[in-house]
Amino acid sequence: MTDSQEYAAGESTDDPTTDDMAIETDVSDSVASSGATMRANTVVRAENVDVWYNDDQALQDISLEIPENQVTAMIGPSGCGKSTFLRCINRMNDLIDAARVEGDLYLRGKNVYDDDVDPVALRRRVGMVFQSPNPFPKSIYDNVAYGLKIQNKEGDYDDIVEQSLKRAALWDEVKDQLDQSGLDLSGGQQQRLCIARAIAPDPEVILMDEPASALDPVATSQIEDLIAELAEEYTVVIVTHNMQQAARISNKTAVFLTGGELVEFDDTEKIFENPESQRVEDYITGKFG
Amino acid sequence: MATGEQRIESFGHVSRTVGTVFRYLLLAATLFGIVALTILLIYVANDAIQPLTADPGWHLTFFLTLVSPTLLVGGYLLRTDPASFRFGASVVGMLAVSTMFAGGAAMIFVDIVPPVVWFSYVLALALALVGVVGIERLDRQVPFLARFAAAGAVVLLAFGVVPDFVQSLPVYPTDGVMLTLALGGPMALVVGRYAAAEAGRRGSALAVLVGVVAVGTGAVLGPLLEIGAVPATVLLSIAVVPTAGYAVGAVRRRSARRSGLALTGTILGGALVGALTVDALGFAGPQSWVDWGFLTNAHSGTAANAGLYPAIGGSILLMVTVAVLSFPLGVGAAVYLEEYAPDNRFTRFIDVNISNLAGVPSVVYGLLGLGVFVTYLGQPTGTVLIGGATLALLILPIVIISAREALRSVPDSMRQASYGMGATRWQTIKNVVLPRAFPGILTGTILALGRAIGETAPLIMIGAPNVLFSLPTELSSKVSAMPLQVYAWASLFASEPFYQAAVPAGVVVLLIVLLSMNSVAIVLRNKYQNQQ
Repeated sequence: MTDSQEYAAGESTDDPTTDDMAIETDVSDSVASSGATMRANTVVRAENVDVWYNDDQALQDISLEIPENQVTAMIGPSGCGKSTFLRCINRMNDLIDAARVEGDLYLRGKNVYDDDVDPVALRRRVGMVFQSPNPFPKSIYDNVAYGLKIQNKEGDYDDIVEQSLKRAALWDEVKDQLDQSGLDLSGGQQQRLCIARAIAPDPEVILMDEPASALDPVATSQIEDLIAELAEEYTVVIVTHNMQQAARISNKTAVFLTGGELVEFDDTEKIFENPESQRVEDYITGKFG
Repeated sequence: MATGEQRIESFGHVSRTVGTVFRYLLLAATLFGIVALTILLIYVANDAIQPLTADPGWHLTFFLTLVSPTLLVGGYLLRTDPASFRFGASVVGMLAVSTMFAGGAAMIFVDIVPPVVWFSYVLALALALVGVVGIERLDRQVPFLARFAAAGAVVLLAFGVVPDFVQSLPVYPTDGVMLTLALGGPMALVVGRYAAAEAGRRGSALAVLVGVVAVGTGAVLGPLLEIGAVPATVLLSIAVVPTAGYAVGAVRRRSARRSGLALTGTILGGALVGALTVDALGFAGPQSWVDWGFLTNAHSGTAANAGLYPAIGGSILLMVTVAVLSFPLGVGAAVYLEEYAPDNRFTRFIDVNISNLAGVPSVVYGLLGLGVFVTYLGQPTGTVLIGGATLALLILPIVIISAREALRSVPDSMRQASYGMGATRWQTIKNVVLPRAFPGILTGTILALGRAIGETAPLIMIGAPNVLFSLPTELSSKVSAMPLQVYAWASLFASEPFYQAAVPAGVVVLLIVLLSMNSVAIVLRNKYQNQQ
């Protein structure tokens, strides 16, 4: 417990987090508190999260706060649990029988692991983009409109599809071929299509699990530009094992190291220029990992 | 430079004798099976068709008009443009297979389902669809159960009232008009949908219009050409219009393939010219046992007059019954086991048993059908319904296994993407998993139906009659099937002309039907694999 407080975001230790927890802050509360502290609202707050796959512990005692309308990067070597943590936020780990989550994880002050939380309803507020592009074998239009249809959203779908594709910087390339299959696009276009699909239902948080790792450098830089723009409207959490990528696009960085522990979480600049932990410095300078 | 380089004379040799022997043994095993099968098939086909009984002039004529031009054009295309060759050949194949299906369908419309009945049910279905879609579009705020109940009521109302009403009308349109609307119309819509992807909305509307007009022309011309309005419309709707739609669509998309149509033209034109020439010069064709009479006569005491007509019709009806019964049950079970069932001892027990049931001999299923349907439920023996139900039980494990295979081949990333969007399990299955797995499920089901069509033992067990003189017209009429008729000829009527000529002819017809069904499955599978 003491370890985790040391590793966890230094800024949060003197926050009245326990009070927040007790009254389960809604949005207006956190707006007020942010005004006082001159920091962004916290959207996602993890407290002592442990994840087990059968008897193997994948995450140990993770505590961190993810701020609103910023890009938070999770970096670390393979198998360190950063993707597992991402999947805790929208409870995708529920789909794995062997996975077991302990601890508290709050989205806008509501514990997503409470008994009365419907994981499907939760996922409708949290968009997700996966490692390899996985558009549905449907038309481009139907891919983007998928979330709207299943969530039975009101509104002009044509307009929402167009806006989403524009925000995903894909509209100009596909506006004449909305009826074509999403699988006919190139890899980078497919991933931007997946991003358009994720933002179409207007989620509060967008989770990205190594969204550029299967793409070439040009497509990667397009995705990175896109993420920076998305952060103006959305809270973005991105997992990457490309440290330069994290340094380029994120505001905050969490470093996970082997064994599933969160070693350091702070502003990206601080992590990359002057990390507290020797292990993080070794990892970032390439001596380890 | 090369100071101190050591030189060796050679690297030696590694013996490959055993490997070579093994390789040729495998080749021999492969060839043995293929050659044996080929010889057997040629032998049977020779007995059934007897090509050597034709005039030499007949052979010469067709060699000149059909075989040599086809070889020339085909060889040229194959060397210069293999894609066009495949396209041309596939058009011919599609025409041949769909003509055969059209023959089966024409049989149904002539003897089993009068066009007015078909028309009334298609009309009811169309009205029900319009009603259900209307309710869906009406208001999203109405609770799901209310919409569901309203949709159910519309469907029941449509099917409860419309068919009876239409059939009770004192005057209704001619068979040709009704089939043009109720069979040509839906087919033209399918072609139009295909055209919509190729040529946009206007092309689609044009395709639908052309399709319906073509079928309507058939309805008018059919009686004049002494084919009859019903067979002509069926042939046009099921064979000609879809094939033409496919050919036009493919040529529009890749105009380079146009040259492939030369092959199609050569084969069709060559056959036509050959037939006209033979007719004009008076050359006699082979005295084939597989002829029009064989396909349209019922069984007769003399082999020369014996035919397969009731058995073909019975097989078609059995197939329809089997498909209707086994498809929803099998696919439903597969979806449950693959998508919903937890991985525990009970489901593993079911898994193992389904695999075992797929290997149980068919005669055992016949006994099961006899015990359950006849003895226990008191159904009459040998009817279409219990024959179909027994065969459905027989292929159910195969349908389940192949459908599960198809569901398993849907990448997990698709499911993850859907769940990640906040879809429920039902929405994921309906919108993502089933559409993606559907071609595979269909392929497996067609191959399983192919097994059912060749089964004799279960039909004997449930008391299907060996010989039937008219087509079964209802679910409760007695049914015979092609393999059963062939078996009867080979055993009960074992005189020489029967088992030397009628049996091979029956086998050839059965094999052609089976192969054409399987070819549909193979085309579906290839299309599916290309999409991945």
